[in-house]
Amino acid sequence: MPVNAAAIEVHESGDSALRVVAVDADREANWTTVHRLAEWLESSGADGVYGAVPTYDSVLVEFDARSTSARQVKAFVQLGLRQLGHADTQVRAPREFDVPVVYGGEYGPDLERVAGQQGLSTEDVVRLHCAGSYVIRCLGAPAGSPMMDGPGFPLPVPRLKDPRLSVPAGAVAVAGRQAVIAPATAPGGWCVIGQTPLTLLNLANEPLVPYMPGDRLSFIPVPAADFGGYAGRYLEPAR
Amino acid sequence: MSGVLTISQPGNSVVTDLGRFRGPRYGLPVNGALDQFSARAANILAGNEDNDPLIEITALDFRLRTDTDILVAVTGAPVTLSVGGRTCPQWEPVSVRAGETLAVRGMTGGLRAYLAVHGSVAAPVLLGSCAPDTVVGFGLKLAEGTQLEVRRSVAPIRQPYFDLPLFRLGLSRPEFGTELVVDVTDGPDIDEFGDSAGLLFSSSFTVSGRSNHIGLRLGGELPERQSSAELLSRGVPVGAVEVPSRDELLVLHRGRGVTAGYPVLAVVTSMSLDILAQARPGHTVTFRRTTVAEAAGALRTATRQLENLRAAVTTVFGLLGIGAQPQWHDLAPAVGS
Repeated sequence: MPVNAAAIEVHESGDSALRVVAVDADREANWTTVHRLAEWLESSGADGVYGAVPTYDSVLVEFDARSTSARQVKAFVQLGLRQLGHADTQVRAPREFDVPVVYGGEYGPDLERVAGQQGLSTEDVVRLHCAGSYVIRCLGAPAGSPMMDGPGFPLPVPRLKDPRLSVPAGAVAVAGRQAVIAPATAPGGWCVIGQTPLTLLNLANEPLVPYMPGDRLSFIPVPAADFGGYAGRYLEPAR
Repeated sequence: MSGVLTISQPGNSVVTDLGRFRGPRYGLPVNGALDQFSARAANILAGNEDNDPLIEITALDFRLRTDTDILVAVTGAPVTLSVGGRTCPQWEPVSVRAGETLAVRGMTGGLRAYLAVHGSVAAPVLLGSCAPDTVVGFGLKLAEGTQLEVRRSVAPIRQPYFDLPLFRLGLSRPEFGTELVVDVTDGPDIDEFGDSAGLLFSSSFTVSGRSNHIGLRLGGELPERQSSAELLSRGVPVGAVEVPSRDELLVLHRGRGVTAGYPVLAVVTSMSLDILAQARPGHTVTFRRTTVAEAAGALRTATRQLENLRAAVTTVFGLLGIGAQPQWHDLAPAVGS
């Protein structure tokens, strides 16, 4: 599917960044557009362009204002959009990841809260969270967290009124209509319903996390007694 | 002869560089020296590349001892710099002899000083940068007894006549005050704030104690978002001004999470981010509206100034035999490092 270059807005975002927004009526098309544009920008390696941060409908393009300018980078973005508009380039085949999760108790301190808020049993919350696979939409904060749409709960999940000062690495959390895993220990306001014993972050690799936007991820419930058995194991693609 | 710097009083100091520019695409903040101008100037004055590893000293007193002759430069916040008990100038190259102690004390005017060593120091690298990342737990935070390998030794440079200053390189230094004027450009979401956006420019703000390398929190009369529609997470630039609560403005700095779901009201210019890097709790901030073209122009002017400094340093070092290859004394790796 070629990119719809007409449905793009470019906004100044300070002296060293542009925000490119895809404004097509089709959300899926917007997501595809910004991620393909980000890939194109990264692979083209224009002078002075540091890189691109794509999320859902937008991509932040960061550049060195000493060696290039917002105007030049904007022209470069438009060149990329024209090329992507003509070419039906091959999209990378997604990889799939299986993530074991211990739900509830000390591993998922907000499981009961989420169940109560949704009017579901904790078993139903776990069942819905493990149903089907998720598309990783983008890498977010902190440290390349896999941001995913879902799960199919009846209601959006409110964030915690008092965010936690420290959420452990591996925390499996939900908020709004999104799901995430925390690669690193950090403060957080999302509801933590479980924890994976696998390690996501590997400082010896580039990138530091094994997944990319577009990859798929499934959660698999495991008993708390198995948690320690995974110690030191890294998340790797299953398929 | 080994080349080792031993930290005798770390205060609050790290080894850093200009930042991890490959980080944001993978969800890691750029980090790196918060006051980029001072960091670049320190490295240039020490005869290094702009991006070479150097020491960032935040707020507290710092001391190290060297076991080899080195050439250093200290920039950033005003401090008392002493070498072997002698007071030495900031923003100039300074010789330190083997066995001497270099002390950075009494930082009051700003918050961060930069210490560059000719030939730089060895530091571990992640995605092309040694800049610490507190979230993933990477970086070289200095502790008492930490030993840094220096890569080059420089014989002491002495001014033979009456202790006159050795260098007058003529860099105009940034000012460090308590009432800061910070330039911003309109953010991509300024319309979300309606007329209340004007409050950013009509009142002044006070830096809160809950400020750090991730972001500064500023108290004052706050602009208010006019809509409450849920926003999709977006990449946010360093310098983004957000209003996440009714209590404080948040200005994101180089340690910021790369994505966020708050509207971006304004963006602090690259030059003014250096000013905020030196802001202490209690300092007041007034925002001044500018354009991207003007901000980029100011940045290029500062860059030219640094290029002129580099040219002057290269000339002077050339005359003194520093930087002329045969005189550069490359050290063997230190034992045990």
